[in-house]
Amino acid sequence: MTVPALRAVQLTKRYGRLTALDELTLDVEPGEVFGFLGPNGAGKSTTIRLLLGLARPNAGRAEVFGVDAADVATAHRSVAYVPADVALWPQLTGAEILHLQARTGAGVDEGYRDELVRRFELDVTKPARTYSTGNRQKVALIAAFATRAPLLVLDEPTSGLDPLMEREFRAAVAQARERGQTVFLSSHHLDEVEAVCDRVGILRAGRLAEVATIGRLRGMHRSEVTVAYPGAAPDLAAVPGVETIEPAGAGRLRFTLTGPPAPVLRALAAAGVTALSVREPSLEEIFLDYYGAEATR
Amino acid sequence: MSAGALTVATVAPEASPRPGRAVSGLALRQIRRSGLVTAVLAAGMTALVVSTYEQVMADPAAVRGLQALAGNAAIRTLFGEPSGLDTAGGFTVWRIGTVTAVLLAAWSILATTRITRGEEDAGRWDVLLAGRVPLREAVTRHLAVAMIVPVAAGLAIGAVLLAAGTPLAGTAVHSVGTAALGLFFVAAAALAAQVFPARSLATGAAFALLGVGLLARMVGDGVTELGWLRWLSPFGLLALGGPYVHDRALPVAVLIAVTAAVTVAARLAAGHREVRGALVRSRTGRAARLGLLGSVEAFAVRRVLRPLTGWTLGVGAYYLLIGLTAVSVTAFLADNAGLADQAEQAGFASLRSIAGFTATLFAVLAMPAGVFAATRLGAFVAAENDRRLTSLMAQPISRARLIGAETIATAAAATMLVTAAGLAVWAGAATTGGYLPLLAALRGAWNVLPIGLLSLGAAVLAAGWAPRWTGIIGALPSVGGFLLLVIADSIAAPRWLHAISPFDHLAPVPLTTVNWTPTTVMTAAALLLITAGAAGYQRRDLAA
Repeated sequence: MTVPALRAVQLTKRYGRLTALDELTLDVEPGEVFGFLGPNGAGKSTTIRLLLGLARPNAGRAEVFGVDAADVATAHRSVAYVPADVALWPQLTGAEILHLQARTGAGVDEGYRDELVRRFELDVTKPARTYSTGNRQKVALIAAFATRAPLLVLDEPTSGLDPLMEREFRAAVAQARERGQTVFLSSHHLDEVEAVCDRVGILRAGRLAEVATIGRLRGMHRSEVTVAYPGAAPDLAAVPGVETIEPAGAGRLRFTLTGPPAPVLRALAAAGVTALSVREPSLEEIFLDYYGAEATR
Repeated sequence: MSAGALTVATVAPEASPRPGRAVSGLALRQIRRSGLVTAVLAAGMTALVVSTYEQVMADPAAVRGLQALAGNAAIRTLFGEPSGLDTAGGFTVWRIGTVTAVLLAAWSILATTRITRGEEDAGRWDVLLAGRVPLREAVTRHLAVAMIVPVAAGLAIGAVLLAAGTPLAGTAVHSVGTAALGLFFVAAAALAAQVFPARSLATGAAFALLGVGLLARMVGDGVTELGWLRWLSPFGLLALGGPYVHDRALPVAVLIAVTAAVTVAARLAAGHREVRGALVRSRTGRAARLGLLGSVEAFAVRRVLRPLTGWTLGVGAYYLLIGLTAVSVTAFLADNAGLADQAEQAGFASLRSIAGFTATLFAVLAMPAGVFAATRLGAFVAAENDRRLTSLMAQPISRARLIGAETIATAAAATMLVTAAGLAVWAGAATTGGYLPLLAALRGAWNVLPIGLLSLGAAVLAAGWAPRWTGIIGALPSVGGFLLLVIADSIAAPRWLHAISPFDHLAPVPLTTVNWTPTTVMTAAALLLITAGAAGYQRRDLAA
C-alpha cells in the first residue's frame, strides 16, 4: 500500500467561534495532479496552512508522505510551496532569492531552474521591490518547480500571470507530472484546473462537498444534448434524467441530461433522430451548480 | 425610469464631498497611539525634572556645583550649554531638553516615513491613490497630521512648565522651539520619503541628518570658535534660543522658516514623481551578491548587518565623544571636589576617575543594546506578518531553528554594538591622553550585556506568545528598567521597587569588577525567557 502524498484526517480548524475547516478528510495519491476548488472563504488557504504546518489544527491530523505536518523539518523535505500572495525580501534580487531558496531547501535542479527563468522571462537581476505581482509569482513558481520535491503545493499560483505565462505554467505542471511529482493546486481558474488536474476536491463552507475525477464530476452533472428529428418531436418528458426540454429551431430539440444516457438513447432511437450532439458541462458550470444553488438559497 | 438607473443617478452625488478628510483620518489612525505616548512621555519627563528643582536648590553646595559646571567644555559638549541653572526653567531645559528633543525628532522621523513611504512601499497607497486624492495631496495631508504630534508635545511641555511657575517668555522659547524641531524632522523625513525609493533609505537619511545635527550642536557648544555651527543644526538653533536666560526668538524663527521651506520642498517633490517612484531612482538591476544566503543562520546575519552598521555609527559616535571628553570632565570634577562628592552621594560612581566616569555612562549603553535587540525581533515578526518569511517557513527548517538563528544573530550583533562602544570610549580616551586600558573599557561595555540579553529574551518571549507586543515587551527590561530606576530614585521609592530594575544590580565596571551573581542570574533569566519564547513560537499559528 502506498503512502498518500497528502493526508488529512478529520482536520478541523477554528478561529474563535468561526469554524474555518470542519473535519476535512482527504487523501492525495502520489503522482496525481489534484485540483482544490472553492469560493473565497471556503477554507482552501486554511487547509494549505494546516497541511504545511504553518497553523496547528484544533482536531484531526495532517500528514505529508506519512510524516506529521507539524514536523516541518522532515515533512518539508518533500514539499515545495507557492503561496497565494507572494511577498519577497524587497532588497534581494530575484537571483538572490532563488539562491536562498535553493540553499535552504531540500535540493534544486539548477539547469532546470535556469531553463524556467528563461521560459518565464524573469529578469533576475532586479531587486524584488521593483517586481510586479506577476513577477513575484514567477519567482515563487520557478523556485518551486526547480526543486525535485515530490509534492508541489500551489495556492492560486497564476492569479497574476498573463496568458502566455499561464501556458508556461501548464507546461511546467505537465512536466512535473511526467517526473512523477504530485501537484496540489488550489485555483479559481477553472479552465486551468480542468486542463491540468486528474481529480478535484470541492470545498464549501469549511466542508468537503465532493472529491472526484473531472470525468466523474461531469457524469454527475448535467450534459446539454441537442437532437434533430424528422416528423413529430420525440416525447422525452417521462425519461429519467431529462430536464428543461426546449425547442432549438425547426425539427430540433435541446434538453439537459443527468446520469446514464441509455434510457434517453432508447427513446431517441425510437423517434429516428437524424443528428445528436452532446456538450459536457464545463467545470465552471459544475462549480456554479454547487455554489450557485447555495447563493440563491 | 428603471430602478437601476435611479440608483446610479443618486449614488454619485452622495459620495463623500471631501475625500481628503478620509485620507487625513487614515493618517491619524496610524499615528495616534505612538504619537500620544511620545507627547505624554515628553511632557511627563519635563514635569518630573521641574518638580525636583526645589529639592536640588535647597542645598547651597548643589547650586555652587551646578554653576561650576557651566564653564566646562566637556560638560557643555555632552549635556548642552547650561544656561540659567539658577531657575527652575533653565535647570529643566538643561537636564531634559535635549532628551525630549531627540525623542520627538526620532518619533517624527519614524512615524512620517512609516505612514508615507512605508505605506507606499507596501502597496497600500495604490488603492488609496486610485481614489480622487492625488499623490501630492496625500503626502501633504499625512505630513500635516504627523505635525500635530510635535505641536501637541510642545503645548504639553509649555503647559507643564507654566504650571510649575516658570516665566512665560522662556517657556515659550523652549516649548515652541521643541515643537519646531519636531516639525522640522517631520518635514525632513517627508522630503526624504519623496527623494528615496525605500522606507529604510528615507529613515536612514533622516536619522543621519539627526545625528549630524546633534554632533554639530555638541561641537558648537564645546568649542567656542566653532559656535557658529549651531546655526546649521536644528538642535543648535534650539540651544541658541537660550530659554529663561536670553529668550531669543530669532533662532526659533529661523528653525520655523527652514521647516516651512522643507515642507514646501517635500510637497513640490511629491508632485514631481510617480506613485512608488522617487526622485532618486532605484537601480533597475545589479549582479547577484550571493554571500550569506547559504542557510537561515547566514541569512539572519546578512539581514542584521545593515541595521548593525547604522546603530554602531550612532552609538559609536556618542561613546567616542564620551571618550574624548573623559579626561577633561574627570579633571574638572577632581578640581571641584564638592560637586563630585555630591554626584557620588546621588549614587553615581566616582566621577573623578576616567574609570568611574565611563562606568556611569556605560550603564546607559544597556538601553541601545536592549532596544536594538527588541527592534530586530520586531522586524522578524514584521517579516512574518507581511509574509516575507513564508517561503522560508515552507522549507525543511524547524521553527526553533528559524527563531534560534534570528536570536543568535541578534545577540552577536548586540555584542558587537556594545564592543564598538567600548572601543570608541577607549580610542577617545587614548587620543586625549587619558588612562583607560583597552580591556577595562571593553569590560565596562560588556558588563551591560546581560541587560541587553534580558531585552532579547523578553522580545523572543513576546514573539512566541504575543507577537504584536514584541517591540514594547522587548524594550521593557532595558528602557523600562532604566526609567523605573530614575523614577524610583526621584520619588524615593521603597527599596524593593529599585530592585526590580536590572540596572539596580549593575556594578560600575570598569571602576569595580563585574558583579557576577546578578550577571549570572540575569543571563540565566534571559536564556529561560528565550527558551519559553521559542516553545511558544513552535506551537503557535504563524501569520503567514
